[in-house]
Amino acid sequence: MTSLEWPLAVFLLFNLLAALIRAARGPTAADRMLTALLFGTTGVGMLLLLAHAGNGVSMPLVDTALVLALLAAIAGVAFARLGWRKTEEHHDDPA
Amino acid sequence: MNAIAIVIRTLSFALAWWVLTEGRGDSWGVGAVTVMFALVVSLVLSPPVRKRISLTGALNFAIFFLSKSIQGGIQVAFMALRPRLDMAPALLEMQLALPPGKARVMLIYTLNLLPGTVCVGIEGDTLHLHVIDSRMHIESEMRMAESRIVRMLRLET
Amino acid sequence: MTILLEWLSAGLLLAGAGFYLAGTLGLLRFPDVYARLHALTKADNLGLGLLALGLALQAESLALALKILLIWPLVLAASAVVSFAIARRAHELGIAPVGQEEEQP
Repeated sequence: MTSLEWPLAVFLLFNLLAALIRAARGPTAADRMLTALLFGTTGVGMLLLLAHAGNGVSMPLVDTALVLALLAAIAGVAFARLGWRKTEEHHDDPA
Repeated sequence: MNAIAIVIRTLSFALAWWVLTEGRGDSWGVGAVTVMFALVVSLVLSPPVRKRISLTGALNFAIFFLSKSIQGGIQVAFMALRPRLDMAPALLEMQLALPPGKARVMLIYTLNLLPGTVCVGIEGDTLHLHVIDSRMHIESEMRMAESRIVRMLRLET
Repeated sequence: MTILLEWLSAGLLLAGAGFYLAGTLGLLRFPDVYARLHALTKADNLGLGLLALGLALQAESLALALKILLIWPLVLAASAVVSFAIARRAHELGIAPVGQEEEQP
């Protein structure tokens, strides 16, 4: 069973691309941040798939996945605490 | 100092190192230093307390958490995949039974991962929740999570 | 036995991908920031969990399997913290959730 990793990784890549629509639409900064979080979870999934598909050669990708997961978390909290100011919220309307 | 706590923590950090290095034996020099460092930092940041968490309570909580997060994922997945959106979002207020501190933080984070709830704030003893479907039995779910946290952290008197 | 494991693993990977798809659709379709948070914190996390479990079943060593599985609780903890931070900030800023605008059954 080595045939499933690549198609699934590509499938997850399309998920990332689709999520960019949300980043483009917004409407609030938080909605765009959600896309960044999705990049975190989906990116981790892709890296794990690719690490396995590479059959030993690409094992360091597992470490990359770990770091990506932690960075996505830190980015999210930092955004909510520091980066998201009230002025960003004026053009907010539930789409 | 609590000797048992130190032994348990040292073993846990050593296990973490073993896992992170994928079981290779050639890096235990750096590993030993790292484990010692992690132990000292953990003792400074979170000194051992007399009440240790209950193992059966933790296991019980883990099983509850796993089954509920599967249920939550399936629920949201069905919502997202259905051609017509069918949700009844609402803001609810709940009275917290848990004492402030570790237990509450734990509850908030648990509720974020449980089916249908995201915490949006806390004021005194009142928890503000956003629920995606107000037709669900949110309160009983929350009480279930609470009682399991109480058991795990041995908060019952 | 290995055949069985491979089928189980393949099933887990496919199921995981399904939840990823649901998470993405939720992010695109749900009406407000709170509902979208639900989609991400529930569906995507479960997708990752299933994917990690499926890959761990095929790992060459126990340590590697544990390492792959370790990622899941880390991501769970991270998304629990992040979703609270974002939801609380949205609430503080007075972003109102979309009320029961869908028809009741």
